[in-house]
Amino acid sequence: MANIPELKISGLHAEVAGKEILRGVNVTVRGGEVHAIMGPNGTGKSTLASSLMGHPKYAVTAGGATIDGEDLLAMSVDERARKGLFLAMQYPSEVSGVSNANFMRMAVNARLGAGNEVPVLKFHRELQRQMKTLSIDASFAERYLNEGFSGGEKKRNEILQMAVLRPRIAILDEIDSGLDIDALRIVADGVNSLRGPEFGLLIITHYQRLLQYIVPDRVHVMMQGRIVRSGGRELAMELEARGYDWLKDELGIVDETVSVNA
Amino acid sequence: MNTVKEASVASLDAEPYIAALQEPGFALEFRRRALALYAQLPLARFEKSDLSRRNVRAFKAAPAAIEDPSAWFRVAESHLNPQDEHPLIVIADGSVVHVRGVEQLALQGVVFCSLREAVNKYPDLVQKHLGTVVSSDENNLIALQSALWRDGVFLYAPKNVELAQPVQLLAVTTKGGYGTFVRNLIVADSGSQASFLDSYVAAATLEDELQVGVTEVVVGDGARVKIGTVQDFPRKATNVLVRRARVLRSGQMNWVVGEVGDGYTVAEFGSLLEGEGSVSTSHAIALGAGRAHMDLTSRMVHIGRFSESDTTARGVMQGKANAVYRGLTHIRKGAGGANGQQSEKLLMLSPGSRADAIPMLLIDENDVKCGHAASVGQINEDQLFYLMSRGISEAAAKRMIVWGFVDPVLAELPIDIVRKAVENVLERKMA
Repeated sequence: MANIPELKISGLHAEVAGKEILRGVNVTVRGGEVHAIMGPNGTGKSTLASSLMGHPKYAVTAGGATIDGEDLLAMSVDERARKGLFLAMQYPSEVSGVSNANFMRMAVNARLGAGNEVPVLKFHRELQRQMKTLSIDASFAERYLNEGFSGGEKKRNEILQMAVLRPRIAILDEIDSGLDIDALRIVADGVNSLRGPEFGLLIITHYQRLLQYIVPDRVHVMMQGRIVRSGGRELAMELEARGYDWLKDELGIVDETVSVNA
Repeated sequence: MNTVKEASVASLDAEPYIAALQEPGFALEFRRRALALYAQLPLARFEKSDLSRRNVRAFKAAPAAIEDPSAWFRVAESHLNPQDEHPLIVIADGSVVHVRGVEQLALQGVVFCSLREAVNKYPDLVQKHLGTVVSSDENNLIALQSALWRDGVFLYAPKNVELAQPVQLLAVTTKGGYGTFVRNLIVADSGSQASFLDSYVAAATLEDELQVGVTEVVVGDGARVKIGTVQDFPRKATNVLVRRARVLRSGQMNWVVGEVGDGYTVAEFGSLLEGEGSVSTSHAIALGAGRAHMDLTSRMVHIGRFSESDTTARGVMQGKANAVYRGLTHIRKGAGGANGQQSEKLLMLSPGSRADAIPMLLIDENDVKCGHAASVGQINEDQLFYLMSRGISEAAAKRMIVWGFVDPVLAELPIDIVRKAVENVLERKMA
């Protein structure tokens, strides 16, 4: 089925400032699926997210990634987005002088392409509706992009952008950090409302907590820049109950990070 | 480039021009004194600008004769909105060519006319203030300007009168080599409120031209004045501009400055905060492209107790443009309780552009508050990545960041068409 999105990551190696962080990552996310990548700090999870989106600081040195069969890595950042890839960032930038609503309208129109722009009123109605769903105050539309937003507000704003842009594949990079339990539930509801056969999701998180609300189909554990164990939802629960040490022992890993022994 | 030695007036016979002006004695005296100073003073020196490498002789004693009466309109068209009704005076190549809506002001006792006209019609007011804020002996080019000023505007707001609309001067130069010497005098009597906007534009094809502009402002007790000023002369122009206000007790002076030309510019703007509790703000934006040179100083001098100043600047440099932005806050002895704040941010969009921000705090008094923040850099990589990650192209994302960067200053310009004109310049330079 042509319309089912697919993000395929094969043997991905990436480095930052000449230091190898990713050492062969393989994951395939298809429409309708929710994958979670878990792991302790410093194991390369966020590097995977940024490398896939194309942050200039990260250089892919080997392996590849495709979206719907097309070479993702050959595309510029904006092309990746227009192909339907979305990254909800851990630390979204603040951009002064650019209103949230204008920014999102430009992004939607960039996706739709010249000549297919969404009418202004229609866009604002849809934006207001989505903001209400995510319990975001209407005034945020006219505020400057992320400027002066609290940590939780920034995360909600990321999910709002995702809801408005309707990507084919979304990566959520530690979207749960800094959220209290109520905000977490609202964000999870927002994400869940997008689930369907034309939407694939890759969630990066430390904690199992988020996965109680967004139930994953597959759970992957990342250590030393690669995926060391994959399983179903029960793997996440086991990690929550027992921590990571048993897995390190089983795998004979002393230091799970990529930062020290690189 | 022409090499010019220290100024010499050997070839400048200005007396016939001055004599033919038919001005009252004080005005002629003012010019002749300045002309003598010009002969004595060496070429103006600036720390970051070398005028000896510019054609500072690109002027003549008398202005150009107007040959094509509609030439100015073609140059200034984008700065005019036919729907606007606020009072406007257009000066082209030194002479008044268009006046609109000044009669309504007279009903309030407000004077808005050309300075040449004011010298004859309101000699007392002009004599009292002319040259009191910007002294003719500041440097040889100010002296030259004081001797040869062609025209400009005089705005007088009587006591407690609030002008309903902003008033505007549009100064147009169509022909280079004659010298653009516009001089403005703004006097706001105590308790009055006025908003003035002046734009300086020239034909893109302008040959070597010396522009020396002086705007003197007197803000009376409790008066409030806002001035927006935009300068857009092309690359062969050499521009030396001084815009300065004296602010008396509890008066307020707000400057909005747009330096958007591609020429060689040395500009100073700011306020002498003489009165107790006087206040001045300045918002400046500098957009440089090509080989533009911008040496800009915002100068706030605190003399009165509890005087306050706040300076904000944004600069965007493209191509091989270079900018020096100096934020000078001087708190003189006796200005106890003064508060001077400044923030300047400069953005370099191309590898060939250069920008320096120099905050200078000179403090001769205890018990004052001063603060500054300066930054110079390129477009933030993370911001660009963030915008592009939502599907926005690199060019569009850069444009958004630059627009956002200059927005706090642009939003302050008091007349839509002028803001629009500056926006058009930015669009053109970003293309």
